[in-house]
Amino acid sequence: MTGQRAGRRRRRRAPAGFRVGAPFRWAVLLATAVYFLVPLAASARYAVQGNGGTFSLGALTLMAHDGALWSGLLVSLAIAAGASAISLALLIPTAIWVNLRMPSFGRVIEGLTLMPLVVPTVVLVLGIINAFKDLPGFFFGTPLLLAVEYVVLALPYSYRAVDSGVRALDLRTLVDAGRSLGATWPQLLRLVLLPNLREAILAASFLTVAYSLGEFVVANLLTFNTFPTRLYEVGTEYADEAVAVSVLALTLTWAVLLSVSVLGGRGASREARRSQRAAMTAREARRLGSEPFGRPAAEPGEPA
Amino acid sequence: MTEPAVVLARDPVRPAAADAVARRGVRVEVAGCERRFGRIVALGGVDLTIEPGELIALLGPSGCGKTTLLRALAGLEELDAGTIRLGGIDVTALAPNRRQVGMVFQAYSLFPNLTALANVSFGLRLRGVASAARRRRAGELLELVGLGAHGDRFPHQLSGGQQQRVALARAIAVEPRVLLLDEPLSALDAKVRTQLRDEIRRIQLTLGITTLYVTHDQDEALSVADRVGVMDQGRLQQLASPHIVYERPANAFVAEFVGSVSRLPATVGPNGTVEVLGRRLPLPPSAAPAAPGDRVDALVRPETVAVRRDANGLGLVVGRAFLGAVSRLDVALPGEVRLIATVTSIEATTLGPGVAVSAEVTAPPLFVTAPSSARSR
Ligand SMILES: Nc1ncnc2c1ncn2[C@@H]1O[C@H](COP(=O)(O)OP(=O)(O)OP(=O)(O)O)[C@@H](O)[C@H]1O
Ligand SMILES: [Mg+2]
Repeated sequence: MTGQRAGRRRRRRAPAGFRVGAPFRWAVLLATAVYFLVPLAASARYAVQGNGGTFSLGALTLMAHDGALWSGLLVSLAIAAGASAISLALLIPTAIWVNLRMPSFGRVIEGLTLMPLVVPTVVLVLGIINAFKDLPGFFFGTPLLLAVEYVVLALPYSYRAVDSGVRALDLRTLVDAGRSLGATWPQLLRLVLLPNLREAILAASFLTVAYSLGEFVVANLLTFNTFPTRLYEVGTEYADEAVAVSVLALTLTWAVLLSVSVLGGRGASREARRSQRAAMTAREARRLGSEPFGRPAAEPGEPA
Repeated sequence: MTEPAVVLARDPVRPAAADAVARRGVRVEVAGCERRFGRIVALGGVDLTIEPGELIALLGPSGCGKTTLLRALAGLEELDAGTIRLGGIDVTALAPNRRQVGMVFQAYSLFPNLTALANVSFGLRLRGVASAARRRRAGELLELVGLGAHGDRFPHQLSGGQQQRVALARAIAVEPRVLLLDEPLSALDAKVRTQLRDEIRRIQLTLGITTLYVTHDQDEALSVADRVGVMDQGRLQQLASPHIVYERPANAFVAEFVGSVSRLPATVGPNGTVEVLGRRLPLPPSAAPAAPGDRVDALVRPETVAVRRDANGLGLVVGRAFLGAVSRLDVALPGEVRLIATVTSIEATTLGPGVAVSAEVTAPPLFVTAPSSARSR
């Protein structure tokens, strides 16, 4: 089972015949860059352009003094944080359990997570209203409702991210090894599984955050004031500022994602350094101390 | 499959230092263990007792239930029936993290996020051992497996053999009562494999730890074990010392699985004899009841077959494999019978494919069975 998986991972490397030349790769990269960057650059330029083509920060200043925009932003950030926390808490145990205990059920789960793409948003919103309208006020009508909603809507992306991370691990062996060494399930999760799923966790929170910061239709239909709904209002009230607004939204989302990624990355290297430092201290200690098993500290007679 | 290594009587005396360290050997008693997966019977009633400090190698074809038995011992697989006792205590219902059983897996199982040293000290960390003590102990163990200088490497920076050494150190770091090895060397190349298997044996003797070593490499089993267990279809077919398993197999399956044999048509003769290739030989003691005149199959080891170049011989050499000092000949006999013989490589130079030969069995067959209809092997 496990041997096969290792084999599959090795085979994933592209066969030599399929390699394409460097010029082709650069051409593709360039085309993609042009496709994405040209509209962005144009918008950015338009955003800082006053009447008659002069440079002006007017549009941006107007934004900065818009209180409703700032409060919408706070709400959106809170919802994004809540949504990614909830979705990680749900998805990680699910993905681990499915892959460990009933791998054949994985297909079904995967299909279920695709539902938000299939069911029209309006239908979903009506469903939510009907399902939750009798709940006490601390849930219905609070941002928590929207966070839960975004967890569901981002499922097609976030579940895939977590699931592929879990699949890339040799889960069964790691769990067995940890258990036989005396780890309880919580210890196993904290010390082995979560650290090895770091990238998948990052990717999933990434996608959920991005989704939450950009979602407009549901928030609007449920009459919430979030960052995107306020941006929309601004766009309709002051037509000139609409472009500045969209550039701002893009930059903001990008900045949030970047900070998530930087924070996650730093955590990883810190952990690795700590582990490595511990090993070096041990070696020092041993060099000074005695050698209990009476074996010289020779390199093993085996090529690395 | 290769010829088994020459089986030497194992020196029963352990290294002097061993007894000072030996502390962990407990008796392992497996009784009536059964495990089914749907219609597949992975364990069909296994009884097995491992004496304290003993190393038993478990040999068997793929899918015969070796891993399942090991996982059951570790508590990673639940049993449908049967009990498991470690050191006289019933652990059948005990969770794996409370069994104090060390396990080394076939697949690379080091935690990728931890260095070799942190991997080895993982179990100690869970047991709340202070960090300095834990590092010292892990360092000692890495030293024991010859990787003292590699503590700060991550698993992906280690070769396969080194990873399995670290996995071994990690398993014994927590001073388990029993050590379970599930084909720890199967992913390694031949040279590293021989070296590491001897090292595992050395460490096992030093620590005096009761060990169950699963492999499907018979050389490995025959050369390191105190006793060899041969499994098939979820049952233990024979459990005995290596040379007994090789020389006096309990049944035809064991005879054919351990080492190589030829199946030759034979006739039971009078007074406890059997006639094979025109020669009358003593009927093997373990044979099934057979009356004179019965047609049977005799199982014969290649080293008990003599092959001579003979223009009038009925045999025809169809294959020759050079194995070093000896060579293996594949001889076709009339009636689609295939005979395997080992001859010295010097003799073999004149016995290439196409040469007509006569063959003779020089020692009593291992076993006789009912004739098999499928002759094409
Ligand atoms: N989790 C499982 N679900 C279903 N069937 C299983 C499971 N684990 C093992 N089996 C089946 O039980 C039988 C014994 O498997 P086991 O892994 O113990 O064999 P093995 O002797 O270790 O084989 P190998 O030498 O290939 O490792 C096999 O037929 C296998 O397909
Ligand atoms: Mg196995």
